[in-house]
Amino acid sequence: MHVIEARDLSKQVTTTEGDLAILQGVDFTLNAGEVVAIVGPSGSGKSTLLALLAGLDSASGGQMDLLGESLHELDEDGRAAVRAGQVGFVFQSFQLLPGLTAIENVMLPLELAGVTDARERAAEQLRKVGLAERQHHLPSQLSGGEQQRVAVARAFVVEPKVLFADEPTGNLDRASGDMIVELMFSMRAERDCALVLVTHDQRLAERCDRVLTMDAGVLHGAAEAVQAGALQ
Amino acid sequence: MSTAESVVKGIGNNAGAGRSVAAAASATTLRTEFSLALRQLRREFRLSEYLVLIFALILSVAAVTSVGFFANRVERAMAAQAATLLAADAVVSSPAAIGTDVRDKLAELQLTTTELVEFPSVVLNNAGDTALVAVKAAGDAYPLRGELRISDELYGSDRAASAVPAPGEIWIDPRIAGTLGAEVGTPLFLGDLELTVSGFIAFEPDRSGGVFQMAPRVIMSMPDLTASGLLGEGSRARYRMLMAGEGDGVSQFADWIEARDDANLRFQTVEDGSPAVRSALLNARRFLGLAAAVAVLLSGAAVALAARQIAVRDMDTGALMRAFGANARSVIRIVLIRLALLALMAAVLGSLIGFAAQYALAGLLTQFFQTELPPPTLVPLIGGISCAALALAGFCLPVISRAATAPVIRVLRRDLPLAQPSIWVVIGSALVAMLLLLTWLTHDVRLGALLIVGVVAVVGILWLIARALVALAARVRSPALRRALEGLRRRPGSISLQISAFSVGLLALLLLAIVRTDVLDTWQRQVPSDAPNFFMINIQPQDVPAMAEFLEARNIDGEALYPMIRGRLESINEKKVGEDGYRNERMRRMTERDFNLTYQARVNDSNKVIAGEWWPEDTTETLFSVEEEFASETGIELGDTLQFKIADRTVSGKVTSLREVEWESFSPNFFVVGTPAGFADLPASFVTSLRVEGEQGNFVRDVVQQFPSVTVIEIGKMIERVTGILNRAALAVQYVFVFTLLAGLLVLVAAVLATRRERFHEAAILRTLGASRRYLSASMSREFLLIGLLAGVMGSTIASLVAWAVIELVMEFEYHFNPVIWVLGTLLGVIAIWIAGVIASRPVLKQSPLAVIRSQV
Repeated sequence: MHVIEARDLSKQVTTTEGDLAILQGVDFTLNAGEVVAIVGPSGSGKSTLLALLAGLDSASGGQMDLLGESLHELDEDGRAAVRAGQVGFVFQSFQLLPGLTAIENVMLPLELAGVTDARERAAEQLRKVGLAERQHHLPSQLSGGEQQRVAVARAFVVEPKVLFADEPTGNLDRASGDMIVELMFSMRAERDCALVLVTHDQRLAERCDRVLTMDAGVLHGAAEAVQAGALQ
Repeated sequence: MSTAESVVKGIGNNAGAGRSVAAAASATTLRTEFSLALRQLRREFRLSEYLVLIFALILSVAAVTSVGFFANRVERAMAAQAATLLAADAVVSSPAAIGTDVRDKLAELQLTTTELVEFPSVVLNNAGDTALVAVKAAGDAYPLRGELRISDELYGSDRAASAVPAPGEIWIDPRIAGTLGAEVGTPLFLGDLELTVSGFIAFEPDRSGGVFQMAPRVIMSMPDLTASGLLGEGSRARYRMLMAGEGDGVSQFADWIEARDDANLRFQTVEDGSPAVRSALLNARRFLGLAAAVAVLLSGAAVALAARQIAVRDMDTGALMRAFGANARSVIRIVLIRLALLALMAAVLGSLIGFAAQYALAGLLTQFFQTELPPPTLVPLIGGISCAALALAGFCLPVISRAATAPVIRVLRRDLPLAQPSIWVVIGSALVAMLLLLTWLTHDVRLGALLIVGVVAVVGILWLIARALVALAARVRSPALRRALEGLRRRPGSISLQISAFSVGLLALLLLAIVRTDVLDTWQRQVPSDAPNFFMINIQPQDVPAMAEFLEARNIDGEALYPMIRGRLESINEKKVGEDGYRNERMRRMTERDFNLTYQARVNDSNKVIAGEWWPEDTTETLFSVEEEFASETGIELGDTLQFKIADRTVSGKVTSLREVEWESFSPNFFVVGTPAGFADLPASFVTSLRVEGEQGNFVRDVVQQFPSVTVIEIGKMIERVTGILNRAALAVQYVFVFTLLAGLLVLVAAVLATRRERFHEAAILRTLGASRRYLSASMSREFLLIGLLAGVMGSTIASLVAWAVIELVMEFEYHFNPVIWVLGTLLGVIAIWIAGVIASRPVLKQSPLAVIRSQV
């Protein structure tokens, strides 16, 4: 069963020098429980594709289904409702709300989905990522690695069907990055959720079922294994 | 059911409804939104921009409610008196005894009546101590409505008086009990009479002047008034006939008196209240309201600046929440709930501060009130809450409500620009909010609009001057100030705004300080050192020779004794005054009722004939000399024929001279002077002014003992009292302007915060390159000292210039530059801005350069 199905997806933006195509004719499918890495040079359109797949942005053309819902037919709030409680995110810059404690950040997606036992479930997730003792700390009181662990806990707390991760180790040192990758993959495996991972990290891409290469807005290779030289 | 299942089910149910925004709503409930808003607010409260926002709101509410609570107390005092303000259903009053025609009409209409006569006089005790008092002689049935309350011992419990004082007795205001050492049974001397104190006045239903009053009251019986010999022909007194009755008797009388059109007779019903007092109160409230309004406007600017910072943060938060599934309306609702909570918090805290502050305000103005003001009601709280809500709605909402408009993709790409709201929407909503706030504060839409234009113009002018000063300062080459000057060069607009906002508050405070000290001092200094220090009025014609002897015996070289006659100008050149309308309001006032005239053979020293000629001493003609300003306002010219109505007679004559009068001489002066031949046989009382050196108390006692009907007024004390009142009033307004100064400081802090991101990056780069915290701290200190110096110099100098303009051009006094106020103002600017700036920029010094460079702040 496909959790994501994109057909002839394109994205254009208007600049002072005319229209600029960021994505062109992208076809993409993701099966339930599948792990896919999208690699490519900076500015190739990886993050834009991730945003379209997650419904964070609307495409200029093509069709996009997420979890059986046609995102291209939905407005911004409709797409948000599809994500609510079903989709998780891990961002490069953590994206924790600075005014909320670790546990409150983890509770946020649960509360937005109307879950009543949000606090208990968030505490459990923080325990799983090894931050039970730091749950009442503000992001500014946590290290980069700890902040990303909170972000991972927040991504998995809603038991997502799809997880989107954008350079999750990009702002971390190697040790912290390795820890985050282990956490993310083990928690994903536990729930068998699909994962779309945008990364520059070859070791990370190697752990995925498939690796797709993005180059100048075009998605290449539905290969089963890592293509040599695809990672820069 | 798992979270995912429940949400999917929800969406599935809505799928058939056209997949609209509303149909695809997430499961977020209002309760969740409330809890999220509360949680965010609790933490964000520590952020500087929220602190500025909440302080600005609290300051607005405190300024508004301090005036609101105070006005509420005064209005309650007024309301408590309103029901019985006249002690009757209606009153007809006159400067002369009420005529028989009025009495007959009242009897015909079968209205219950009683009479009052009020006038100033002096009472003595056995030791010869004197006190100026407001005498009320009351008829037996007084009061017809309400009750007069007296106490049998000083400040003891009071009771309703069943009658007026019996002949031979007097009731006194407790305030003169101290002056004269009077208690029940003490004899006091009033006119020819010795009266025994038999009670203390606790509440007088129709206290003229309402809550305001000058002299303490004494009440005596009507038969004693006749026996006292206090009032003679032409004496200054107010005669009042109180009336009450069922049916339409009062309205029939009202119609009758209106038809009579006698300007000397003033008819007043309960509905009319006490217009003079109401108008004075309204003006006081407006004036204090204006001072509070300026604070609210500046706080609004601080709110707007802080809101911009909060909006950026909220847009990122909104984008993240929407990435996790929240819909736009939910994000907006969370913002609105947070704003509402902020408004509520500011309203409560601000109102508490306002409540405390009004006690100080009432304390400053306590001498205006004869009785203790009642405690305020909670009604001004509505004003406080409305003020906070309006300030947020007008200055904050258009910006903050953009929280749901940030592209969700910003969670991945923070470099994407944020859409700013239309500048017209921001300005429009701020203007509407300001107009509503000011209209409510001043009870006057026009005044509110004018104030907005005024404040915007003042801030605009100050901003332009500040901009010029900043540009000038930026040219200075000083190695020690290099970094501080760079700040001025890089942020001239923002720094000029900081300087101008702060200067508005400083300017207002300093201007009031100059008015309070210098203008009142100057005014007192204008009085010549040998000016008369006593006025004597109500000298009866038969006492004139004795009074002249009395003064001569004491070597007092008083002014001549001037006869005073009350008359009304009826026509000029046989044309009835007012027939073709009035030239101005003053002319209407002067010609619609009687005013004081005199007659003199010779022109006195403080008068100078500037046109025409003074008459020969032995002239037998009826001629007039008119004061030049009065002549110009009423259109009287040399050679015109004036006709006056005096008592029941008509006197007319030609104007043969115009005079310039030196009013500040404190001699009795008159707009119109006639020849003795024309007036000598008309009823008059006499008036004079004189200077008494040494034991003034003995002089007053001697006059009152020998001439009981004469009222002695000490000018020095009156001037002292008037300047004291003006001083207190200015101090009260100045007190409210402290809120304005604080609001100016908040604008400064908000403006510093607005440039904080830029400062963070500058500081991070400098620290990465090796600059120490001490170096950065010293640079910022110098920048704020420089800004403070510019603001202080500008505020002090402009305040001095405005004071010069007011004193020299408007008041026509001599202006003396006050260097102390100028220096103090400048120092205040430097210190206040330095402290506020250093506090606002402290986080910049504390932040780690790495965090800044990683944009984690």
